[in-house]
Amino acid sequence: MKKYNYLPIILSLLTLPFIACDDNLNIEPEQNLSPEVATESPANVKKILNNIYAVARDNGSYGGGIALASELIGNNGSLSWNGTYVQPAEYNEKAILSDNSFVESIWVNAYDISNEANIVLSSLSVFTDEYEKDVTEGEAKFLRGMAYFDLARLYSKTYVPGSQNSQLAVPISLTAVLDASIIEYPTRNTLEEVYAQVITDLTDAYNLLPDSNDIYATKYSAAALLARVYLEKGDYDNARAMSNDVINNSGAELTATFDGAFNNGENSTEDLFAWQVTSQDASLNDFSTFWAGSEFGGRNGNPDLGITSQHFNIYDDPNDERSLFFYVTSRGTATAKWKNQFGNIPFLRLAEMYLIRAESNFRRSTTIGDSPLDDINALRDRANASLYNSVNLATILMERKRELSFEGFSLFDAKRLGANIGSIASNANRLILPIPLREMDVNPNLIQNDGY
Amino acid sequence: MKIKNYFFLGLFFVSSLLMAQEKKISGTVKGEDGLPLLGVNIVIDNTSKGTQTDFDGKYEITASPQDVLVFSFVGYKVIKRTVGQETVINIEMVSDNTFEEVVVVGFGKQSKRKVTDNIASVSSSDINNIPIASMQGALTGKAAGVQITQINGKVEGGVKMRIRGVSSISSSQEPLYVIDGMPLINDDESVSEAPINPLISLNPNDIESIQILKDASSAAIYGARGTNGVVLITTKQGKSGKTKVSLNTSTGWSEATNKMKWLNAEQYVELFTEASTNSYGAEDTWLTEEGGYFDWMSNGKDWRTGEVDTDWQDLALVKGSVQEHNFSISGGTDKTLFFISGGYNDTQGIVRGNSLDRYSFRGNVDHKISDNFRVGMNTSLSKTKISRIGTDNSFSTPLQAIAQSPLTPAYLDDGIVPNNETSIYYNFLMQEYNGNWEVNIFRVLLNTYLEYQILPELAFKTEVGYDNNNQTEEYFAGSLTESASTNGYADANAIQSDKYSISNYFTYAQTYNEDYDIELVGGMSFEESSRKRQYVAGTGFPSDDLQTVASASEITSGTSSRTKYNFLSYFGRATFSILDKYLIKGSLRYDGSSRFGASNRYGVFPAASVGWIISEEDFIKDSEILTLLKLRGSYGVTGNAGIGNFASLGLFGGTAYNQKSGLSPVQLGNPDLKWEKTNQIDIGLDFGILNNRISGEIDYYSKKTNDLLLNEPIPGTSGYTSITRNVGSLTNKGLEFVLNTDNVMSKNLTWKTSLNLSTLDNEVTDLPSGDIVAGRNIVREGETISSFYLVEYAGVDPANGDALFYKNSVKTDGSLDRTTTNNYNEAERIISGSPYPTFMAGLTNTMSFYNFDFSFTLQGEWGASLYNEGGKFQSGNARYEDNQTTDQLDRWQNPGDITMVPQARMYSTNGQQASTRYLEKSDFIRLRNLSFGYTFPREVTEKFSVDRLRLYFTGINLLTFTDYSGYDPESSYDNNGNSNIEKGITFYSSPPAKTFTIGLNIDL
Repeated sequence: MKKYNYLPIILSLLTLPFIACDDNLNIEPEQNLSPEVATESPANVKKILNNIYAVARDNGSYGGGIALASELIGNNGSLSWNGTYVQPAEYNEKAILSDNSFVESIWVNAYDISNEANIVLSSLSVFTDEYEKDVTEGEAKFLRGMAYFDLARLYSKTYVPGSQNSQLAVPISLTAVLDASIIEYPTRNTLEEVYAQVITDLTDAYNLLPDSNDIYATKYSAAALLARVYLEKGDYDNARAMSNDVINNSGAELTATFDGAFNNGENSTEDLFAWQVTSQDASLNDFSTFWAGSEFGGRNGNPDLGITSQHFNIYDDPNDERSLFFYVTSRGTATAKWKNQFGNIPFLRLAEMYLIRAESNFRRSTTIGDSPLDDINALRDRANASLYNSVNLATILMERKRELSFEGFSLFDAKRLGANIGSIASNANRLILPIPLREMDVNPNLIQNDGY
Repeated sequence: MKIKNYFFLGLFFVSSLLMAQEKKISGTVKGEDGLPLLGVNIVIDNTSKGTQTDFDGKYEITASPQDVLVFSFVGYKVIKRTVGQETVINIEMVSDNTFEEVVVVGFGKQSKRKVTDNIASVSSSDINNIPIASMQGALTGKAAGVQITQINGKVEGGVKMRIRGVSSISSSQEPLYVIDGMPLINDDESVSEAPINPLISLNPNDIESIQILKDASSAAIYGARGTNGVVLITTKQGKSGKTKVSLNTSTGWSEATNKMKWLNAEQYVELFTEASTNSYGAEDTWLTEEGGYFDWMSNGKDWRTGEVDTDWQDLALVKGSVQEHNFSISGGTDKTLFFISGGYNDTQGIVRGNSLDRYSFRGNVDHKISDNFRVGMNTSLSKTKISRIGTDNSFSTPLQAIAQSPLTPAYLDDGIVPNNETSIYYNFLMQEYNGNWEVNIFRVLLNTYLEYQILPELAFKTEVGYDNNNQTEEYFAGSLTESASTNGYADANAIQSDKYSISNYFTYAQTYNEDYDIELVGGMSFEESSRKRQYVAGTGFPSDDLQTVASASEITSGTSSRTKYNFLSYFGRATFSILDKYLIKGSLRYDGSSRFGASNRYGVFPAASVGWIISEEDFIKDSEILTLLKLRGSYGVTGNAGIGNFASLGLFGGTAYNQKSGLSPVQLGNPDLKWEKTNQIDIGLDFGILNNRISGEIDYYSKKTNDLLLNEPIPGTSGYTSITRNVGSLTNKGLEFVLNTDNVMSKNLTWKTSLNLSTLDNEVTDLPSGDIVAGRNIVREGETISSFYLVEYAGVDPANGDALFYKNSVKTDGSLDRTTTNNYNEAERIISGSPYPTFMAGLTNTMSFYNFDFSFTLQGEWGASLYNEGGKFQSGNARYEDNQTTDQLDRWQNPGDITMVPQARMYSTNGQQASTRYLEKSDFIRLRNLSFGYTFPREVTEKFSVDRLRLYFTGINLLTFTDYSGYDPESSYDNNGNSNIEKGITFYSSPPAKTFTIGLNIDL
């Protein structure tokens, strides 16, 4: 009996290690870094910058979501929606509900881009190498400017050149949010303010970025985007200057064939900027999801976005490669632009610069860089279409359609040019996205768009 | 020991000299059931002379005439026999009904009579032999204030257990499960959004009893994890005596509790032709023309002659089956007790392709090294294999097939290959034909303890527990499935999560003057849980027969991760009982966890309770009628630590762009994050009337949770969508009523009834951040958590068939604008119901008549609603080409038609928007289980050396009474099965199984 008596003492001693084991409660995450560490070195800040590209390339945004909204809301019958998702169906019907999750993704992603760009921009002081710092700043501003540009085009009434443009656009948020104390409940800025911010960012990017920068944004990516922004604003002088700069100085060349511009694993010679897609990506490629037949990674609508016969009315030459750039699936006709599920997504193509320069020169009756006729014929020549002897605004805009269809230009061009979509006026409320319901629910300072 | 024995030996000699007439007496001691009892103590009164019965219940003792033999055994009445002339004394022991029932509480046991807590107890007889694979499922309807819902009809499906309502918005709402003193891992490790019940690997037949600690007084000893209640599970242990071998085998079949009515081919053609005409005019015959859409769907069959009429529902909801085989061997001596069991369960689900089989083993041993030193070990191993199907939100899940057109043949002409060529949606049959999804779960539970009685009144116990949950999930989709474009897809996900826990505590129990009892418990515990995960996915398979990632031509994704959390806790409890009448209890727990912010790492959780056994008072003590009357009250504080392991930290995580690494801000930090604290008051009355033939409990509780851990939505313009904060409070209040009656207690007929009723009133009382809207649910101050927040449907405009909605905008005088509109965007959302029942009831009747036994449990819930998120597709007056429920044939057709179904307009929205059109009350009463058995007479079975042979029939969910028109009032969407706010949503969610089994119990 006696011999057991020391046991409780030993057992009680067992408890002692734990009485002094407060340290055990400090457990560090193994998959995550603290904000302090994440922003403490140039290498880490550049990793954040790299992630902004990933966020932007997300299928909800530049990986297909924004183009899907533009093409379906801008669909006047050239497309047939065969898919089962409700959100794109609402776009196509022009009866969008404010709880549309695609609408929410575009918004949330854009502000994620904005905030991460803000984080990068607020951490520039860790750089010692000036060149590296400039490139980082330029890329962050390129991405931020791009995000606000598309937010403004989607969630706001159309820009009216020469007016006040005090219509509500989207909130501009330039603070880096790294802890809970800085969360703001902003109001919507005016469209003029948002465009001013976009142009400031992109101009800075243009000035800071180098001519070549791997697959990341370059000086001419910024210039090309600026050309697009100026065109949207009806500022043809600047649109012409920027597109001309790109054509003359970027070193980019039209691919030898039209086909060569799409479905590439590596950027083509005419890509001024393209979203990189790999089979390892966390996010899908929604261009292939919705536009490709199921054998190319598309959904069951095969394709979800079918091309109707109406579309083919825009071609004027049966040899035009662009009129043949389709394939037939069990449920319709699909564009061949988005056949490669893991191919890069061209975002700024040189072809668009020719179209912008041609349109701007034509509208300003100038021939800076080259004549509108030559620019248009450059594209037609490449597509094996008969060359024109003369062009007018209508033929230039029609060429734009032939060249850029299914790349996300429909809605924006219709609004910019005041073209009805079916029977719907280009300035109708139904063609403007609602402020996402979740955002309205959370932030009392936001005012919803008319009609929602 | 030895010294004492010599002393007795000496005494023995002396006494034998004095009493020369003594003789040997022998005999057998049996219980009421006729089985020999081992370990019965036999002492000669007023001496220290004694012995015990052996395995066969036999004893031998030397005694003199006039000596009094005292037979005693735990749980039986003491029997005294005066020795006469006989040499054989056989005894039949009678069990002691007044024997104080003992309940398991945190870190100890307590006499039920003296408990001042609210604890619901469920015994093995209530849950054994119910052929439900999940332990929780067997508990449904048995305890007041406890709502148990299996998410849907999938066999592995998650189970929600809500004890006294929902006390948290963003952190865990699940109770803490403790098995034999060891907190269990209870994390859903499903690779998909649809949860797998983490306790599916436990065999319910190994459970001896379950105690559900509902009030703060009982749960506060588990401190930071007590808010959602604590479920204490005690596994079976052998009893000293004859070794008992039990076999239980059952087999049966199952089917869906309900099927819905869908359009057949003819109705489909009629409705959609009309819908197209309404949208595009009769001249547009794209559906019906030669080579039109209907021809395409029919894939070569002639729909015009009715050649094809596919019932997709019948393909998805199939006949299932259940087989269960369990054996156990238990027994022991006065020193050692043991229980060994093995079990096998094979459940073929009612949803095509869904099945489970589980092998389990348990070994429990308890050994007394000496009178004051005990050791023991409880261990179990199990292997569970599950064939899974897609989440409710995937085209590959069988029940989404109800969306397919009846014009589409299910298979191609060969009858083998599923027709995926002309189905509107991906044909789920392809998954069965060309895919595979299997989960294997290995679970090891090990719990060892040492208990040392330092002094008669002071004991020390140390427990070391280990829980290992090892889960592998493998998925393959071949070249014909949704993964056709990549020539097949496979992934494999492995989780190793384990937890060890150590607890040490002292128990001091002392009685002074027989009037004052005191019990003190004090100790500490430490727990560490870690989890590792590895995942890999690949595409491009050379053959559909090569289904592991090894054969993938490209590895598309891979990850691994490690995480950990721990708890360090100190606890103490003091219980006083004065004159067996006045009961006082107090407890304190001090909890620290790695999960909380550095500035709030520890929390204190006190509780106190008092009880007054009124029936012990002199003025009532002798009452023949009132046997027990006890008033009790408690107050205490519990916590909820069910949040992410690093919720307080700002975090950046690794990402990639163009296969180069990136860093992404994934979480905003909040160093002030702390426990969610719940203050709970409970006032209760226990009563027993007529020798406890009628007994029951009445309780009122009020539970207020403050500092809610809230994933508060924040403006997306900040770059984030939510942050975890301690804000707001909510309350749960309710009444619970339990009544147990022994209606008939005669020799050949017994009938017992147990009824439980409970009300629940949940209200969010403070939400400084304002409304949180998630999907169709809202958390709003003054309302029930997760209330439905929807536009109100107003039916159909008889003039033009337009769907109408109430505007419900607030007018200047504060009232709602009840005018209607056909413009959905003009209508405001309003609170339109709650996903939680406000009243629940359970009624169990148990009867035996001669050798027959019969029992059944009815369970009901009232006050909840379900929103059908799939309604817009299923019952959307042919807006989409999905097949429709037959009630859509009541669509508006001509001006003046009065109906709730708007005009059918294909591809044009008319009433399909989210509104109360798809919200329905989900009240129900269900015959949860029923069993009917016959025990063969012992005289017959004894010839085959069988002690007991019982043949039985069991049914589960045999009847459901409800007005709910969807699949099932309890089935909900599993794709957000872990969401706390989005509740009461159904979306192609399968109904539960209705099961019929026949079984045999054999005891040897």
